[in-house]
Amino acid sequence: MDVLVENVTQVWSGGSRAEVVALDRFSHRFRSGRFSCLLGPSGCGKSTLVQIVGGLERATSGSVRIEDPAAPAVARPLGADSVMVWQNLNLFPWRNVIDNVAFGLEMRGMPAAERYARARTLIASVGLRGFESHLPGQLSGGMRQRVALARALIMERPILLMDEPFAALDAQTKIVMQEELLRIFEATRKTILFVTHAIEEAILLGDEVVVMTARPGRIKEVIAVDLPRPRSLEMVSSPEFGALFDRTFHLIREEVTAAMRQQDTMAAAS
Amino acid sequence: MSGKPPKGAAWLAERVLPPASILLFVLAWEVYVRARGIAPIYLPAPSSIAVYLWRMILDGTMEYHLGVTLLRIFVGFAVAAVTGIALGVAMGMSRIAAAVADVWIAALYPLPKISLIPLLIIWLGTGEAYRIVISAVTAFFPIVISTYAGIRQADRGLIKAAQDLGANARQIQLKVVIPAAIPSIFAGLHLGMGVTIILIVAAEMIGGSSQSGMGYLLINAGQVMETEKVFASLVVLAVVGAVVIKLQQWTDRRVAPWAHRDDR
Repeated sequence: MDVLVENVTQVWSGGSRAEVVALDRFSHRFRSGRFSCLLGPSGCGKSTLVQIVGGLERATSGSVRIEDPAAPAVARPLGADSVMVWQNLNLFPWRNVIDNVAFGLEMRGMPAAERYARARTLIASVGLRGFESHLPGQLSGGMRQRVALARALIMERPILLMDEPFAALDAQTKIVMQEELLRIFEATRKTILFVTHAIEEAILLGDEVVVMTARPGRIKEVIAVDLPRPRSLEMVSSPEFGALFDRTFHLIREEVTAAMRQQDTMAAAS
Repeated sequence: MSGKPPKGAAWLAERVLPPASILLFVLAWEVYVRARGIAPIYLPAPSSIAVYLWRMILDGTMEYHLGVTLLRIFVGFAVAAVTGIALGVAMGMSRIAAAVADVWIAALYPLPKISLIPLLIIWLGTGEAYRIVISAVTAFFPIVISTYAGIRQADRGLIKAAQDLGANARQIQLKVVIPAAIPSIFAGLHLGMGVTIILIVAAEMIGGSSQSGMGYLLINAGQVMETEKVFASLVVLAVVGAVVIKLQQWTDRRVAPWAHRDDR
């Protein structure tokens, strides 16, 4: 599934406070079966963009279309082809692992035996066999992350939207989860939109890195990452990786500085 | 998961000192009363309170009055819980219901419910209906307010996640918003139970014709200066109150273990 974003603008007008333009005429075609990373400073609207694509926020103006390359004329409702993995996971704390993972199937009305069978398979595939009846609160951060991933993958939707999913993990767990995600992507070839503010992560995972400007979020540059797949963590030390990193770093440094200035003026104003 | 239990001396102190302090207090009381020869009508010794308590248990008075009071507490609390949770959930789901109910709650909540006793006695007499109503009305408010707050404060992120996973509006209410409100509902039920106990015993003391319940036992013993019986009743009330609250906490943990994970 292609995700075609055209001129999406998002303006927050929060009551007495001044209007904030989070996204400004953002246009991009995220291609089917590709891993796209959205990279930018905090507050550049990257989370907002994936939520708009997922049909969970309405854009102030502009449009998002989900397009099947085999049948581009068919109109598809937003949200029906995508599923989200959230930065703070949003697991249901009162549901154990299997009931969290099976949530989407339960909402569809799938009988318990069938949805539990499917959930067990997915739980095993993310390495959590034996933890089916644990509550999220009883698991480590990395394990919770796997539950969130399984809960999204069970939906079998062609588009995976990921909003800084690994930001809260410790460095080692993050590496393991990145490798896990690479494995899943290379096996399933889903269309992935992955929000991050870590340059290394964006280059390691993505086929392209969409570098965004500080608020209002626009596209600064789209960097094609032509590293071969399957990817592995060893590539980080290759000269090609280094060159991509330097290029991205220079683009992003200007924007981060700009974002920090914005925060300073906002702090001074309040 | 939970923190390491304290070891050695600290553990011993934590376990032994609380009951030891009570024992020490009772012992000091006994010694003081005997040494000063204080009249039992004024302050009976713990040992004679124990004797009276034992007699009341043997002849069945204590069980009878305690049973009656517990039954009333249970009924009043059940009425308040059902109506309070139902209205709280309705308020959480419908803006109109919330707007209408809010006016009434704002007007009636600050009113001391005990001040309704004369009116209720005029309307209902001093029978069971009056005691149930006064306790249920009092317990109703904390329950409805906590339920509504819990429903309204449901995590937006969880609602969005459910929506993303294909839940419709009704499923979101039933499967996300209400479960998310359970800790808050339980907090309301705790407050409600506390005031139900207070109001039932108070109503038993005031409705002169009731002739039953711990409140009646207390006021009656007080009027004929049987101070030992007053103390015996107080001891029973304190113990039973503690047991009821502990039982409630235990139920909470069984029903909603996720809400009590304070070791995270």
